[in-house]
Formats: sequence, C-alpha cells, structure tokens
Amino acid sequence: MKNSFIYPIIFMALVTAVFIAVLAGLNFVTADTIAFNKQIQLQQKILYIFDILPEGGSEKDIERVFNDNVIEKEWGGVKGFALVQGGREKAYAVPISGAGLWGSITGYIGLSNDYTKIIGIEFVTQSETPGLGGRISENSYKNQYRGIDISGKTDNFIISSPQPGSNIDAIAGATQTSAAVVKIVNENLKAFLEEVE
Amino acid sequence: MTGKEAKKIFTKGILTDNPILVQVIGICSALAVTNLMMNSLIMGIALSLVTAFSSLTVSLLKDHTPKHIRMMVQVLIISAYVIMVDIYLKAYMPDMSKALGPYVGLIITNCIIMGRAEGFAQSNPPLPSFFDGLASGLGYTFVLLAISFIREILGFGSIFGISIIPSSFTRWTLMVMPPSAFFILACIMWIFNNRSIKKQREGVEKK
Repeated sequence: MKNSFIYPIIFMALVTAVFIAVLAGLNFVTADTIAFNKQIQLQQKILYIFDILPEGGSEKDIERVFNDNVIEKEWGGVKGFALVQGGREKAYAVPISGAGLWGSITGYIGLSNDYTKIIGIEFVTQSETPGLGGRISENSYKNQYRGIDISGKTDNFIISSPQPGSNIDAIAGATQTSAAVVKIVNENLKAFLEEVE
Repeated sequence: MTGKEAKKIFTKGILTDNPILVQVIGICSALAVTNLMMNSLIMGIALSLVTAFSSLTVSLLKDHTPKHIRMMVQVLIISAYVIMVDIYLKAYMPDMSKALGPYVGLIITNCIIMGRAEGFAQSNPPLPSFFDGLASGLGYTFVLLAISFIREILGFGSIFGISIIPSSFTRWTLMVMPPSAFFILACIMWIFNNRSIKKQREGVEKK
C-alpha cells in the first residue's frame, strides 16, 4: 500500500494539515502579544525622542504616557507623531529612512514645533555591525542629537566630525555607518522642511 | 532504552561525533550569532529543542512515511518546529528575537537537524532519537558558547553582557566582526582534533 501512487499524496496532505493546524492555533494565541510588543517598542522609541520616557517604566507605563502625550500627525503624506502638552503641539517626530552600510536604516527624528531645532533621534530598524556601526542605537550616540539648532539652514543640518563646524561626533571604527546616518538625516530633513514650507 | 545507551548517545553528540568540531556541519550560524554569549545560548537552546523534537516526530512517523517522500516530510516537520520557536521568541522574548534576526528562521536550513533526522531518527525508536537530537544540539551549543566567550570578552569586554574588563583595555574590533569566528572556530577544531587523534593513537599502541 505504501508504494501505491495515491498513498504518499494523502500522507503528505495529512501531515501538512496537522502541522498547519498546530501553527495556526499558536499564531492565533500569540498574535495579540506580538502586536502589543511591536506597538510598545515603537511607543518607547517615540517617547525617547521627546525625552519623556518614564525611567524603568513597565509596558503599561509606556502605553499610558504615550496615550496621554502623543498623537499621530500627518504632513502631506508623511506620517509621524506630535507631542501635545497643555493643549499645544510642542514637538514632532518625523520618519527618516535610507541606506546604511549593510541594510536600510529607518527611524524617527524629533523636531521642535517651529522646526528650528533637532530634539532627538531614534532608530527603528538597523542592521549595522553589532559593536561598531550598531552603536548608533546606543544613547551615547543618540543623545548628541538633542538640541541642535538648525534655524536658517536649508541643507547640511548635521555635520559629522572630523569636518570643520561639526555638531555630531562620528563613531570610531564605523565611518561608513556614521556617514550614512548623517546623510539620511540631512536628506530626509531637507525633503521634509521643503514639504512643510 | 538503558542508561548505558543514553550515555553513549550523549558522548557521541557532544564529544566524539560533535556536529561542528567533527562533522563540520551547521557552522554558518555558528559564525553568525556568536558575537554575544546570550545570543549563542538562546540560539543553542532553540536549535537543541528543534533538533530533539523533529527527530522525535520523524521517528514516530517513520513507519508510515513512504521512503521516497521522507525528505519532504522531514523538512515539513523541521520548519514547523522552527516557526514555533520563532513565534515564541517574538511573543515572549522580543529583544532576543530582534538580536537573532533572520537566523532563527534559518535554523530550518541547519544541516545538523536534517543530518540527525536522516542519519539517526529515520532508523531508530522515538526516545533514543529525541535524546540524539538533544545531544547534537548541546554539542552545537557548547561550541557556540566557547566561540562567543572569546569573542565577547575580547570584543566587548563582557560576559553575558556583564562588563568585567575595564574600559582602558582596547577592544578588538576584529572580534566583533564575523570573520573572527572563523579563526576561533578553526583553533578550537585544531586543539580538539589534535587531542582526539592523540587518544586514538594511544589506543592503537595499547592494543
């Protein structure tokens, strides 16, 4: 019977059906948790940009602070977030994306409500070398983007060391990634500011 | 299954027939995820569980599986378990899922699992197959931990993320990059195989 033509087909179909059922069940049970994790991760990043991330806060805290202070905002097709405090929009988080050294880098950059200051940066996806370019995700690099004055500039908002007039220190041993991040920020900011004006 | 048999299976999987050091299979992921010890540990546990359970399932189904489609069935079983691990990591260990990235999904293509399913589970009862898969997975895990221990301590100055070397020590950039795993793995293999050859020779001379 095992060598008949039809048996292998039925057997394969049966085994496949069983495993699909198991996986579908597992997926169904965990779908909400996975979606929640993703949402919290993004919310945490946006709160970090606005510098109002509750320290050592649990997931519930992050969700609460986010819902209390942040709303979604759109600028002509660009979807970002706005920090609302006391009924006024205080700051914005604008999406940025571009090519890194190994893969694409996406993230958000924070701007003050009059678009004259960069208030923070955070990366959502990056696949740079861990320990080298990957350090763009560390606070010591990201905190350099707090409070950079860009009023009056229309291009080259960020200048990386060792160029003259630099306002950001590049990461040692990760020249390409540092340059890529600066390029991504400058290009995206330029396009965005032209869009709002 | 007796205790003696179990002991034999485990010594084979971890030492004398170690998948990485002796059979030299599954080394792709061994190079990719060994930059940090934590990554290696989770990867090792994931692979051990997948290998153990897919060997168990392959062995349970072997009497009903037509010989000419057995590889299809094996791949199906392996991928199902890998997806389970992937979903589990995404749901309950999101940070680890991010750190391991595509390598969890790539467990499917790890030769160790297919090798154990084809080489052992296909012709042995379920329980020994389960332990055989587990033993091979552990052998893989130990080698990964050994590589990542050297890489993490020299590249980041830490063990399991805990800093133990003062920052005045210059970090080895090479250790952070994947190529360093090549050198370390080769050195470990060299030492290990040198020892086993010596032991074999001693055994022959005694006879």
